[in-house]
Amino acid sequence: MRLVHLTFLPLLFAAGCAAVAPEGSVAPQTGATATQPATPPPAAEPSTPSTPQPVPAAAPAPLAPRAAPQAENKAATPGTKTPTAAAKPPAASPPPSTAVKPGPHPAAATTTPVAPPALDLAALKEQLKETKAIGVFTKITLKNQVDDLLQQFRDYYQGKAKVTMAQLRRSYDLLLMKVLSLLQDADRKLAAAIVSSREAIWGLLADPKKFATLEG
Amino acid sequence: MINRTSACARTLFVAAFFAVPSFAADDAALKKDMTSVIALQGLPCGQVVAVKVNAENDYACSCKDGNRYRVYVNAAGRVVVEKQK
Repeated sequence: MRLVHLTFLPLLFAAGCAAVAPEGSVAPQTGATATQPATPPPAAEPSTPSTPQPVPAAAPAPLAPRAAPQAENKAATPGTKTPTAAAKPPAASPPPSTAVKPGPHPAAATTTPVAPPALDLAALKEQLKETKAIGVFTKITLKNQVDDLLQQFRDYYQGKAKVTMAQLRRSYDLLLMKVLSLLQDADRKLAAAIVSSREAIWGLLADPKKFATLEG
Repeated sequence: MINRTSACARTLFVAAFFAVPSFAADDAALKKDMTSVIALQGLPCGQVVAVKVNAENDYACSCKDGNRYRVYVNAAGRVVVEKQK
C-alpha cells in the first residue's frame, strides 16, 4: 500500500507541476504582451504605412483634388490613429511615440495644400444619386430645387429675372447647406467632396460662358 | 408529419422575427425622408411621427407638432407638400 503511495505521490506531484506549467506558459504570454512594447519596431513599421495611407485616402480624390489635401489632413490624423490601432495588439505604450512622430507632418500638410480644385460634376451627381444618406423623396426635392436654381440662373443671363448675382449666390449657398446638412453625418466623404467642389461649381454657374456649356 | 409541421412553424417564427425589424427600419427611413422633405420645403413639422401610404408616391404625414401634410410627386415630377387641415 505504501509502495503504491510512494509510486503515485511523485506522479501526483508531477501532474501538479504539469498543471502549473500551463500557468507558467500563460505568464510568458502576458510577458509577451508586456515585452511586445519593447518591440516597437513592429509598431514603428505600421507607422511607415502611414505614409502610403494617404494613397487610399487620396483615391476618392479624383472627384476634387482639393479634397485630397483634406483627405491628407484627415489621413494625417487618422494615419496616426491607424498605427495606434495597429499597434494596439502589441501594447498601449508605443502608440504615443508613433502618434507624436506624425505630428509635424499634418502641420506641413496643412500649409502645403493650395492645389486648385478640379471638378468632376458627373461623378458628384452619380454619388449623390447613389448615396443612401438621403431618401428618395428628399433626393427628388433637392433635384427640384437645383432645377429651380438653374432656371433662375438661366433667367438671369437672359435678362428675364430681377435677381442679382448676390441673391443667386445666397440661394446657391443655402441649397448647398441643405445638401450638406443631409450628408454630413451619414456620408461624410461625399459631403467633403461637395464642400471642396463648392467654389468650382460656383465658378461654372457664375460664368455665363461656362454656364452655357453646362446647359449644352 | 408532426416534425414537418413544427419545422414549418419554426421557420415562420424565425421569418417573422426578422421581418418585423426590417419593416420597422423601412418605416423609420420613410419617416426620416418625409421629415427632410417637409423641412426642405421650409414648412413646420419638427419630426414626422406617422406616415400613411395613400398611393404610390403619395403619403399622409403627421408631425410631432400636430401639423399634417400630404407629400406626393406630381405629374411634372415635383415633390409637393400640401398642408392638411
